[in-house]
Amino acid sequence: MIRQISVFVENQPGSMMKVTTVLTEAHINIRAISTFDTPEFGIMRLVVDEPARAKESLTQNGFVTRVSDVMGVELKDEKGNLNEMLKILADGQINVNYIYSFVIRAGKAPVMVFHTDDFEKAEQVLTDADVKLVEEEEL
Amino acid sequence: MAAVSLENWVERIRDPKIECMSRDEMADLQSRRLVDVVDRVYNNVEFYRRKMQQRGVEPGDIKSIEDIEKLPFTTKEDLRDNYPFGLLAIPMKDVVRVQGTSGTTGKLTIAPYSQKDVDVWGECVARGLTMAGLTNEDIIHVCYGYGLFTGGMGLDFGAKALGATAIPMSAGNTKRQMMCMEDLGATAFACTPSYALYLAESIQEAGLVDHMKLKAGIHGAEPWTEEMRKKIESILHINCFDIYGLCEITGPGVAQDCIHKAGLHVHADYFYPEVLNPVTHEKCADGETGELVFTTLAKEAMPLIRYRTKDLTSIDHSTCECGRTLPRISKFTGRTDDMKVIRGVNVFPTQVETALLSMGGVVAPHYMMIVDREDNMDVLTVMVEVDESVFSDEIRKLDALRNKIAATLKTALGLSVRVKLVEPKTIQRSEGKAVRVIDNRNL
Repeated sequence: MIRQISVFVENQPGSMMKVTTVLTEAHINIRAISTFDTPEFGIMRLVVDEPARAKESLTQNGFVTRVSDVMGVELKDEKGNLNEMLKILADGQINVNYIYSFVIRAGKAPVMVFHTDDFEKAEQVLTDADVKLVEEEEL
Repeated sequence: MAAVSLENWVERIRDPKIECMSRDEMADLQSRRLVDVVDRVYNNVEFYRRKMQQRGVEPGDIKSIEDIEKLPFTTKEDLRDNYPFGLLAIPMKDVVRVQGTSGTTGKLTIAPYSQKDVDVWGECVARGLTMAGLTNEDIIHVCYGYGLFTGGMGLDFGAKALGATAIPMSAGNTKRQMMCMEDLGATAFACTPSYALYLAESIQEAGLVDHMKLKAGIHGAEPWTEEMRKKIESILHINCFDIYGLCEITGPGVAQDCIHKAGLHVHADYFYPEVLNPVTHEKCADGETGELVFTTLAKEAMPLIRYRTKDLTSIDHSTCECGRTLPRISKFTGRTDDMKVIRGVNVFPTQVETALLSMGGVVAPHYMMIVDREDNMDVLTVMVEVDESVFSDEIRKLDALRNKIAATLKTALGLSVRVKLVEPKTIQRSEGKAVRVIDNRNL
């Protein structure tokens, strides 16, 4: 499993930059990022190299955060591979709440992270289909 | 230090002769003082002489406190028209200090004091501090602003009269406030309720609650709710008291509640309260809400006759459980000028606060009301801070939270409200009077 940090941000100029500034100043490396927006506010989801320290820095700077688990899957950078992974999950009746991808990692295979309500089953169907799962320490 | 519970409370009364006086004796005292003050303003203040003459009233017509209804009102506009010293009833050389408030519109409201006025002020605050269970052994951390604003000086004079130790911190710099509070061993603190809550949360966040020796908080200068009081009390494990005053009358210490929290005892030997229907000016019965009107019975420098405070309250003349007979005014529901009429509905900021706090810790009690007019329609937006306890990673849960707040506010106000969730600590915390409403309508 991979720990993801979610941050509440208002939908206005500079609000995401304030989050990345805090992380930069704390020397934290962002591995993956995705945002979800509504007209007034948004949620920024991040995978970073040191989640505990990232949360601490953000909290100290007045951000509201939450740490939750997501699952990481390594894919070959070839056509159809994402489709195939999603098919495995669909066949296994796994609902994917959201999915996003990692920032390009030099010399390494791309990684997708996703959130589901049933991690155990998701892990099982992916492992059964020989899909490589990525753990936090491998990032 | 834990708050003293009601069962273990030892009531102290600074001046039992006055504070527990029978109603008849009090009326006699008030009558003598009213006759005296009317005589002084008639002879020394041109404004009052003219106003009384216009109404056909002479000092001789005022024989007892019942006759107060014959006297003209004084309004904030009258103070402005006679700015700065037009209402002075003593020579300037006998004025020992001036306090004031920065009006949101234009000029200051000025309050001059004689030495006796300052002593009376300190005495009234000291009565309140005693109501709060404080004695000359206490250390009172004053984080009201010092300066023209009466908050800082008022509590300082009160602490001095009581013989307690005053720490004149003034407002601002929360870290330093916490450090001094801890290091100097403050047993009580005084500031606005909104700052008290902010300070309480900061103390809690810093893990310093157990390092403090606090047992009481004295808070006023803006209306606040029972829910807010409970919140501050539960964070800091103290008893909080509501102190009321306005600089025109004397500053804080005109009234304060006791441990029974059954209304604020008015020092009616010095400040005679009337509660009147704001439109008809008829006297309200006990328990009926109206505008609070004060006559300063013993003030020397700038006595005010029937000064309309614009504060809305009700009065109760029954004897309190604490033993005091001083009349009690209810916790303020708002001010006639804080009230917003939105789509024909009267809305007070305190109603929003009560509704938010009634949601049981779901939302932080920091809020801002914004009134706009869109397509000739009034729109009320309430900004509410999202904190760690309610933040969800999922948009639908945040939407559900927003809808729940909107529904609660709609029920409380009888008006649809837009709710905007904002980042924590983005709504300005005030160190003076909290601004809770921004009205963008050009009415």
